[in-house]
Amino acid sequence: MDFNYDDNQRMLFDMVDRFLTDKHDLVKREALLKDPAAEAALWREMAELGLMGAAFPEEVGGFAGSSADSFVVMERFGRHLVTQPYLYTAVIGGRLLIEGLSGDARQDAIGPVIAGERQLALAAGSTHMLRSAEDTSFTAAADGAGWTISGRMPVVLNGDRADRLIVAARTSGSTGEREGVTLFLVDADAQGVSRRSFRMIDAFGAAEVVLENVAVGGENVLGPVDGGVALVELALDHGVAAVCAEAIGAMEYLIPATAEYTRTRIQYGAPLAKFQVLQHRMADMYIQTQTAKSMALVAAMSLDGDAVERQRMISAAKVQVARSGKYVGYQAVQLHGGMGVSEELDIGHHYIRLNVINQLFGDSSFHLARFGALARPVAA
Amino acid sequence: MDLSIDDKVQALRQEIRAFFAKNLPPEFARKTLAGDKLTKEEHKQWHALLREKGWHVPLWPKEHGGPGWGPMERFIWEEESGMAGAPRLNHVSQDLLGPVLIEFGTPEQKAELLPRILSSEDWWCQGFSEPQAGSDLANLQMRAVRDGDDYIVTGTKLWTSYAHVANKIFCLVRTSTDGPKQAGISFLLIDMEQPGVTVSPIYTLGGMLSVNEVQIDEVRVPVTNLVGREGGAWDITKFLLGNERLMGAWIGVNMAFARQVRERLEQVGPDGRKRSENAVLAQRVAEVETDLVALRYTTYRVLADELSGKAPGPEVSVIKVRGGEIMQNLTELLMEMAEAEGMVHPLTMPHDGLPVVPFELEHMAQQFFDKRKLTIYGGSSEIQRNIIARRLLNV
Ligand SMILES: Cc1cc2nc3c(=O)[nH]c(=O)nc-3n(C[C@H](O)[C@H](O)[C@H](O)COP(=O)(O)OP(=O)(O)OC[C@H]3O[C@@H](n4cnc5c(N)ncnc54)[C@H](O)[C@@H]3O)c2cc1C
Repeated sequence: MDFNYDDNQRMLFDMVDRFLTDKHDLVKREALLKDPAAEAALWREMAELGLMGAAFPEEVGGFAGSSADSFVVMERFGRHLVTQPYLYTAVIGGRLLIEGLSGDARQDAIGPVIAGERQLALAAGSTHMLRSAEDTSFTAAADGAGWTISGRMPVVLNGDRADRLIVAARTSGSTGEREGVTLFLVDADAQGVSRRSFRMIDAFGAAEVVLENVAVGGENVLGPVDGGVALVELALDHGVAAVCAEAIGAMEYLIPATAEYTRTRIQYGAPLAKFQVLQHRMADMYIQTQTAKSMALVAAMSLDGDAVERQRMISAAKVQVARSGKYVGYQAVQLHGGMGVSEELDIGHHYIRLNVINQLFGDSSFHLARFGALARPVAA
Repeated sequence: MDLSIDDKVQALRQEIRAFFAKNLPPEFARKTLAGDKLTKEEHKQWHALLREKGWHVPLWPKEHGGPGWGPMERFIWEEESGMAGAPRLNHVSQDLLGPVLIEFGTPEQKAELLPRILSSEDWWCQGFSEPQAGSDLANLQMRAVRDGDDYIVTGTKLWTSYAHVANKIFCLVRTSTDGPKQAGISFLLIDMEQPGVTVSPIYTLGGMLSVNEVQIDEVRVPVTNLVGREGGAWDITKFLLGNERLMGAWIGVNMAFARQVRERLEQVGPDGRKRSENAVLAQRVAEVETDLVALRYTTYRVLADELSGKAPGPEVSVIKVRGGEIMQNLTELLMEMAEAEGMVHPLTMPHDGLPVVPFELEHMAQQFFDKRKLTIYGGSSEIQRNIIARRLLNV
């Protein structure tokens, strides 16, 4: 057993960290959010560093990485409060392309993603934070050799910047059924697609997406017709592992930042750090983070294994990370007092992101239920 | 022991409800309940409506234009206002400064300033906290140096709520550095509309603008603006904070949130099933509902003791801590149940056609993150626990 990064992962870590230390902090992020051209330029630079393909195998043009390599990237993104959509483009979108296409079609679709020329978004068709696809409200009807898709989704994460939308649409059966949902690769500029952009509370971009009789060719179907739900589940499990890593990056930053703040903030003639109640609070933040980190690593290492074990570990990790992230974020803000709720400090922004992560890709009640349904006696 | 509330108070509750049903503009209630903010003009409109009824300064005695309510009536007012989604008015002027002036002000101060609050001409803000004086309020540094009939005031106030819409500020200032820290602090009224006063906004989580930094640089303030005696601010401050001690329970507002939580739980979610079928969620909702019932009766218990003549003591710290935590839990549930539509940033939403997400959901995340302040300001939860430990447990 080994819970440490290997040499390649160390190198990836150092590279990402150096890059972000140089290019990304709260002030620069504020500027980026107002400047789409600067955001696009940063995205291209990240692709030039090889980030987009870091976790992809060589056979699809990646850099011989494994799914676990996304952990390294996302953990650093979490630390540096990055709002660039690696998660939606490379982790979730990339996974759907890898699993849903083959041969030249796959190469053609993934190449531009790795090159940083194309962004992706999953439009799973419902109002939840990407939990599943069986309740999509998009519908697609066969139309000769192709399909015609219609529907509306109010909040598509990264829908504002995506060049290609991966749309989950019902092709047979009825809402809630696992069978009958098909995934389509839709050009965001296609006739009949309209979008209105905005931001989420954590500053990530999103858009309302409306599809009106959008025609797509048969070659744009990802995976089996009527069999899209399992594919989305797999991709979202990759998403869970990624945000668990991101949360660890945030938590491992918040603890020393809070400790440092309490060492320097004087009230009642002494540093706040002298109050034992606050010391214990920080010790609890540490305890919470350690258990969460173990599970985030387990999640990353379970991605490519047995499907049931993957789902169990992903769900266990999500629940633990949510619990820990909620505690650590809350206390980091609390111990900073008024400064904690100010937008000038990164502390509050991390707290917001940790809370959004809790809602993404199935919240705790979803994952507790899934874990329970798959439960088996704890094996040795 | 007896749980019933006397008939006179019940009748007042009914009267308040009927008044709100008839007079509270639905748009104001809708905004307040959805976590949106009213403009100053809208606040003034509501103030005028209340004024006709004589309920615009609910904490004030009759002789100064208030309804002359006792603690129970005031509490019922708070509950009903919160539940109805009635906007909380110019609260700092009416609920904080007004009673202070009535108790400690000179006849001239009362004659000049109370009518300006009654007419909503003056909007006051509270300048207590400073960069080096948060929890440790007595450490404040803003200096007021006597010069003839004036004080010359210099210093910085931090986290001043609504300074950006206020025209006046009451400050705790240091008039002496001798002796115990508390004894050198005075309570001073300062006009903000003059050179030397600079207000800079501080944005808080979710892009909210409610707090500010107020810099005061060599501003002359007449000695007649002193409330109470020089060096006597500590007792005034205790009186002022005591006046809102039961408000920290936020019973009415919490009940309005709980009602929304329950409604949303009984609705059908995007998966086509009632949310209440989710056992984990249903249990969390029931838990916070029972927490709220317990807080409500705890508040009533303190109130009943007060009515029977027992001075309320440090047990109000219990109420402050729980009131904030419960509101944080309720707003979290509201945000979670709103799912992706509740996670949007309301200040970034397009307004070029039909709304992207329903109005009632748009502010859910912003509202939740804004409530983070409840366990920090007005005596943090740690400070409240220190009070309980020291004053009630003698440890
Ligand atoms: C939204 C908002 C609105 C506000 N409005 C106003 C206003 O209108 N007017 C005004 O004057 N002030 C206002 N405040 C200021 C508020 O009262 C202070 O933030 C509060 O007193 C805490 O001070 P601080 O922020 O400096 O935190 P600090 O005092 O630095 O505290 C930081 C952390 O240390 C803990 N701590 C401090 N001392 C102890 C101790 N002895 N034992 C254990 N733990 C301790 C605190 O509980 C907190 O968790 C507002 C604050 C906020 C956030």
